[in-house]
Amino acid sequence: MRLTAINERAEMIGLKQGQGVAEAKAICPDLDVVEEDPVADRKLLEAIADWCDRYTPLVAIDGKDGLFLDITGCAHLFGGEEALLEDILIRISRLGFDVRGAISSAPGLSWAVARFDESRIVPPEAMEEALAPLPVACLRLGEEIVAALQKMGLKQVGDLLAAPRAPLARRFGAQLMLRLDQAVGLVEEPISPRRPVAQLSAERRLAEPVQAEEDILQLARQLAETLKPGLEARGVGGRSFELLLFRVDGAVFRIAAGASQPLREPNRIASLFTERFGAIHNDLDVGYGFEIIRLNVLQHASFDAMQGDFVGEDRQEGSLAAFVDRVAARLGPDCLQGFELRQSHIPERAVRSLPAMAILASKRRTGEKDAGHGFFRGERPLRLFRMPELVETIAAEVPDGPPRQFRWRRVMHRVSRAEGPERLSAEWWVEEKEEPARDYFQVEDEEGHRFWLFRKGLYGRGGTTPDWYMHGVFA
Amino acid sequence: MAEAAVARETLFALRETIARLEGRPIPALAAAAHEALADKPVREAMGSAKSLPTEPTLEQSLLPIGIDELDAALQGGLPLDALTEIRSLGLRDAGAASGFALALAARLHARASDKTAAKSPVLWIGDTVATMEAGLPYAIGIGDFGLEPQALLQASPRKLDDALWVAEAALGSAAFAVVILEVRGNPARFGLTESRRLALRAKAAGRPLFLLRQGGEEEASSALFRFSVEPAPAQARPLPDGSVLGGSIGHPAFRLTLEKSRNPAPLSITLEWNAHDRRFAPVSDVHYPAFPGEHTAHSGADLPASADRPDRAKALGSVLAFGRQA
Repeated sequence: MRLTAINERAEMIGLKQGQGVAEAKAICPDLDVVEEDPVADRKLLEAIADWCDRYTPLVAIDGKDGLFLDITGCAHLFGGEEALLEDILIRISRLGFDVRGAISSAPGLSWAVARFDESRIVPPEAMEEALAPLPVACLRLGEEIVAALQKMGLKQVGDLLAAPRAPLARRFGAQLMLRLDQAVGLVEEPISPRRPVAQLSAERRLAEPVQAEEDILQLARQLAETLKPGLEARGVGGRSFELLLFRVDGAVFRIAAGASQPLREPNRIASLFTERFGAIHNDLDVGYGFEIIRLNVLQHASFDAMQGDFVGEDRQEGSLAAFVDRVAARLGPDCLQGFELRQSHIPERAVRSLPAMAILASKRRTGEKDAGHGFFRGERPLRLFRMPELVETIAAEVPDGPPRQFRWRRVMHRVSRAEGPERLSAEWWVEEKEEPARDYFQVEDEEGHRFWLFRKGLYGRGGTTPDWYMHGVFA
Repeated sequence: MAEAAVARETLFALRETIARLEGRPIPALAAAAHEALADKPVREAMGSAKSLPTEPTLEQSLLPIGIDELDAALQGGLPLDALTEIRSLGLRDAGAASGFALALAARLHARASDKTAAKSPVLWIGDTVATMEAGLPYAIGIGDFGLEPQALLQASPRKLDDALWVAEAALGSAAFAVVILEVRGNPARFGLTESRRLALRAKAAGRPLFLLRQGGEEEASSALFRFSVEPAPAQARPLPDGSVLGGSIGHPAFRLTLEKSRNPAPLSITLEWNAHDRRFAPVSDVHYPAFPGEHTAHSGADLPASADRPDRAKALGSVLAFGRQA
């Protein structure tokens, strides 16, 4: 067991990272050792990254304890780079963290300065000077390379910058040169943001935190109004929205809502969130209130402006879309489904359920067009079981007749009439292993229940008697 | 004299209020409409082709079933701004009850397509257990049954509360031609209050709600009409020469009992559904002489669906007439 992290006091006593616990306890007998929990650490780091969303949408996680923020074009919103850095550092340290940060034109340099120098801003013209006095470990290299460099007497980055490149590359590999170039900004290094950047977003910083749901929704509506000109200018409407709520104590909530049609209307957008709030009511811990509220448009689609007609047809379609959105926001997009017919003669494959949102969207795109069934087929039942249910048959006519009696769900049904068989062979071009053909019968029992039974396979093939299944009920 | 007039006025006002509460036509207006209807042939004879504006609105809010006997009992047809309950006696009769509800929806849809280009979809709100026991609505089968599968949307909320919410929101949005809410048994959380709420919502939106109670008992609800549906053996398929094809299964048939209506006596009738013409036709009961509620011999015990309370004790002996508590 080793120490992976220590606090300030332990540092003062003289403990070091990587020290054995036994040794550390020998130095300081009343040492309080807490077992490391990497998952929780990661969660905390992600929460901080979420929190940093207030500065820029481009936040990337770096290793176990670092964050990269791409503040290109954001600094002026906070009164310049200095003010921005100060604001971040003060706020995070107030949250109770030991934090260091640096701003520079290259992620590698910021990394090095933040970890091995004091928190500061490195201007673009002074990059090499800032890097030169730092130890080589600041270049994000493997431990062996660092050790080998130190053995060679190359202790500071300045030594490397002064040394000829070719021998260094030959000796230590391309990695060293790449890191060096990245640190001085010769090679562009992308950071990978955690979340996709919103297409459009609007936010509101509040002097007084809000707690009431109605206030939040009212603000969301105002933000949607702010977004409306932007959406109009692009000729689009939002399909997928996200409401970010920054709580005073640093927690960030993301509430997503989708729409079946591109939306611009602030009231409709706000009503999506009204339903979402209804659904997540208990999960949203308001605490001391939210200080920043942001509305993101994650996806948008071209908004075909509709002209109203006199019949009021489109209004009806609009109300259907609004209903679909409400249900999807409250009960999830899969709750409401429509059907799409497909070219297949296997009953369960001939119909595909799709979320109603997708159905509405596809109707808008392609007009109402469905795959028809070109082949002749028998009548299909009104309700189909998700999985065919095994039935016990008695006295089925061999080889290809219907049963006289069958037992289904422990009830015996006497067949009075039957129609069939309709033989449906398996689709060998879809299935991997060959399925036996099914012979379907529509049977009616003496009470008038009408069922759809099938026999899987044929008699006298493979030595086993084929099983019978119940697949659906007719009216 | 004046006092008597005031009293009459109050009486009429009260009658109108009662009529409004009961969802019946207001007596004075209904009388006027009746007179106008009686006048119509005379007026047509006189050459005025104008139809009265009140007439189509009266017809539009009703869905005639197409069987004179039933329509008379329903006072013209099913009200399209109210809650109608369709009940099956057990979950194994779910097919028949779903069939009747969907047949009504198909009728409504066929009628709507004649009038307006816009066809509102039909919403089916399924119950989790009933779906498991009786299967999912199958789009192709529903297409065979006379309702376009594209016009059907299916909601499958996990909880009853969610189902009620969906039903209410769907009625409120007025985006659906008909909302079918499937419920299994008699859940305690769907009582008189909830059904009243839905009925009022349906009234306000002017859209019908069919409550499909699978395997439930009769219970007090604010449905104006309640049907109980049992399966009935189908007629054989007719042949072009007028005879029938022996051993074949023709149009689906139901045994329908109007359990709750303004008419005190229950009415039983066996109907078959012609999916092609989207029309019901009566079936003669020669081979099905059972009284309503009474079953023919079958091998299984006639157990009701386990609702949230035990089944009531069965009455001993057999009742010959009026065999049900109306």
